[in-house]
Amino acid sequence: MAQETKLREEEMHGEYRNVGKPVKRIEGAAKVTGETVYADDMQLSRMLHAKVLGAPYAHARIKSIDANAAREHPGVEAVFAPADLPAYKKNFSNRRGMIFPDEEVLFYGQPVAVVLASDPHVAEEALALIKVEYEVLPPVVDPIAAMGEGSPLVRSPLGDVDRSEERGHVTVGVEQEEAEGKPSNIASQMNFRRGDIEAGFAEADVVIEHTWRSAVVHQSYIEPHSTVADYDASGELSVWTSTQAPFYIRDELAQTLGLPENKIRVTATEVGGGFGGKIYLQELMVAALAMAVRRPVKYIMSRKEDMLAATPAPQAVIDLKTGMTRDGKLTALKSRVVYDSGAFPGAPMLPGCLLVGGYYKCENLDIQGYEVLTNKVSVGALRAPGAHNVTFAIESHMDMMARELGLDPIEVRLKNAVEEGDPLPSGQPYPRIGLKQCLEAIAESEVWARRSKEQGARARDGQRGDPARPTSASGRAGRGLLRGTGLAVGGWLGGLQPASAIVCLNSDGTINVTVGSADITGTNTSFAQIAAEVLNVPLEMVNVTTGDTRTAPYAGMSAGSKTTYTVGRAVKLAAEDARQQMLEIAAKRFEAAPEELEMADGVVRLNGSDEKTLTFQRLGRLSTNFAAPFPAVVGRGAITTRKMAPGFTAQAAEVEVDPETGEVTLLGFAVAQDAGFAINPLSVEGQMQGGASQGLGIALSEEMIYDSEGRLLNGNLLDYRMPTTRDLPPIEAIIVEVPSEEGPYGARIVGEPSIVAGAAAVGNAIADAIGVHLTDAPFTPERVLRAMGKL
Amino acid sequence: MPKQVISLTVNGRSYEVAVEPRWTLLEMVREELRLSGSKEGCGTGDCGACSMIVRSPQDERGRLITSCLMLATQVDGCAVTTIEGLATNGQLHPVQQAFIDTGGVQCGFCTPGMIMAAKSLLDRNPSPTLEEVREGLAGNLCRCTGYAKIYEAVIQAAQTKKA
Repeated sequence: MAQETKLREEEMHGEYRNVGKPVKRIEGAAKVTGETVYADDMQLSRMLHAKVLGAPYAHARIKSIDANAAREHPGVEAVFAPADLPAYKKNFSNRRGMIFPDEEVLFYGQPVAVVLASDPHVAEEALALIKVEYEVLPPVVDPIAAMGEGSPLVRSPLGDVDRSEERGHVTVGVEQEEAEGKPSNIASQMNFRRGDIEAGFAEADVVIEHTWRSAVVHQSYIEPHSTVADYDASGELSVWTSTQAPFYIRDELAQTLGLPENKIRVTATEVGGGFGGKIYLQELMVAALAMAVRRPVKYIMSRKEDMLAATPAPQAVIDLKTGMTRDGKLTALKSRVVYDSGAFPGAPMLPGCLLVGGYYKCENLDIQGYEVLTNKVSVGALRAPGAHNVTFAIESHMDMMARELGLDPIEVRLKNAVEEGDPLPSGQPYPRIGLKQCLEAIAESEVWARRSKEQGARARDGQRGDPARPTSASGRAGRGLLRGTGLAVGGWLGGLQPASAIVCLNSDGTINVTVGSADITGTNTSFAQIAAEVLNVPLEMVNVTTGDTRTAPYAGMSAGSKTTYTVGRAVKLAAEDARQQMLEIAAKRFEAAPEELEMADGVVRLNGSDEKTLTFQRLGRLSTNFAAPFPAVVGRGAITTRKMAPGFTAQAAEVEVDPETGEVTLLGFAVAQDAGFAINPLSVEGQMQGGASQGLGIALSEEMIYDSEGRLLNGNLLDYRMPTTRDLPPIEAIIVEVPSEEGPYGARIVGEPSIVAGAAAVGNAIADAIGVHLTDAPFTPERVLRAMGKL
Repeated sequence: MPKQVISLTVNGRSYEVAVEPRWTLLEMVREELRLSGSKEGCGTGDCGACSMIVRSPQDERGRLITSCLMLATQVDGCAVTTIEGLATNGQLHPVQQAFIDTGGVQCGFCTPGMIMAAKSLLDRNPSPTLEEVREGLAGNLCRCTGYAKIYEAVIQAAQTKKA
């Protein structure tokens, strides 16, 4: 089957000249020379630098703020405390609806005042001169404790919660129940039920029940949050910011600041990594300050501020009980899914509840989700938000049950895997998906092939069933290093938003594509490929621009893996429209019908004729010159879609565990992922490897550690350990292509699924090595030793 | 704050710069010389995005440093190479070209520092093995690529340089 998939791929890609081919980034040269302009590289006349004072408590009431000494500090232009801010429409229920707290501080590091100065060092010095008097309140840090009846409240009650940002990441038409009635720390909850859960467990031969915990992790883009804003005499607000969501920011700023959307120009500067974490955060503060002082204001978060006060990804506690028959059929799945949302709502409880029961056919489900508030920084999206937490649980369970029943981990998953038409826990049926094909593909990976070879040898040597395999291949023989291989699947449903694009013919025959989507993954290169494909020209004839919100046609946020799926379709339509306009001009010149014409390599010709030809350059002149006979060629494409194109992945890990130190070394990792159709396989592989590396960080080392007072203890990139080159061998990427119904050329969502399965795959590999599953991620040496009973 | 004048060369060009004692090398290069290719990702020497090569008069060969941890006054008399100094006459350095060719560039924010680290590695070891590449780039974080295509880039650049 995998062989067939591969053959079909070759067939599919053979038909095209631009799409489906590995293409270098169109902006690559600017990036490797350092010429690309990121927000912090912007310099404007009279620009002021903002430095922010963060609260030193996780929960407190501000009694007074005395900023007089800071204001008098030489070089300081202005100081803003909550009372000094210009009027704007406040909403304390959503983090993004506020600049400073009214008076109640809700998390450690929450901004409470800001200093502006021409010299950032001067602004920094002045922060120390601001005197804030706090009444310290009891912080609530642990989400399970926060759910308890007797828990103190995290905050004053929520009002109307706006969940528009979350819908940009996953759009599934299901609502959660907002908290009502007696005040508690549960912001919202939801429940999915199917079949008869008790009958399902009664039918099973194996029933297991465990609790799975994963940590708060940070997106850890290398470029911290960065924004510049300016407000001019004509009442126009300009914001240059490192964001995935320029139009979303424009809309939110308009509502909050009371400006019309056509007076706001948001430019998404090149994003130095976002991964879901750069949607809309500090832009409101910077814009409001620029409006207040009528000078450009720049605010660049320090790494520490970014870790304390941006929007990391939530921890979750997943109680899971599953049952399986002897022949490997999943009969029942019961789960309580708790996400720690921090001090504001916005945790990905909905996708978590959908995915914990969304990978396998299971007739009996009972899934209960809770979004719980605590006095920690509020959470945001990180690449398939919420998916890795629940995948760790369900995919560890599948491994444990397969082990107990002596079943092959791939076979047992294939037997239960969802396919087109199967319902999500919400009842909504899946469109065409490629989960099974990913499982078949991972079986062919080098990592899994090595395991199969070793297992064969083990069977011959009569060692089958012994999970602990001493290894000698590492060259560290004699220390009793243990080797293991594991796999897991994962998936993501994706977001849906309308999209549009414009394709123009220039007077020299080259092509401009304009879109409104921030390019965070190489999408502009893919758009160039799509337009070049439609117009049947070499890629070099096409250039792509992301415009700002006043010049670009609308696009949704570059989140939810939707950009190629939605904007790509709009680009294809716009290019087809431009193509038609060009054919019509040529048809009039040749006195022929457009259907009698062909277009190739920048030339339109009458079928079979060598004389009746028009170059793109000629067409360009005929539609742009003075007194030209034809109007300019401007192709328009606009779409909306309500059809998901979910992306699945299967991943295999090979690890070596040192039983003396508990250290886990990753020896190999493979990712098979369904891209639908890989418009740029080089980019798709890059997304797969990059996402997988983030999943491996979640598995092995990444954890934001809070003390009992809610203070972050490791707010820097030394103590918060993301994977380095020392940690990661080259990741094997296997592209699977099961075309989506609506995506351009069959493309489906790509960016996010790769992060989802890492923790489970590595956990299963560790279990293969040491004989026991770790229930808490990341799998630090200490946790490994505890699991082995050595601590 | 009173300033001190230092002399140095940056990418082969001589400068005299009046610097505050608290300025880092990174800050001076970005804010005073307006060479904004080097990036600040952490300010604590952990991410490597600000990597530059600094050669002091007594050194034979330059050293790869994190310029966010070096004060501007420390480079008085030194020769500094930044990402802007690698391409010659509009021709990309083989490491730069290899990063584009292999897909080793994604968001681009770690790229200037990563390329400086790769160049420094190849200056010391023209034919590194995969393991030597992994060791040589261990001070530079990338969040986008999972490093796989960066390893390919460095090995490709080594081959191009030899050819």
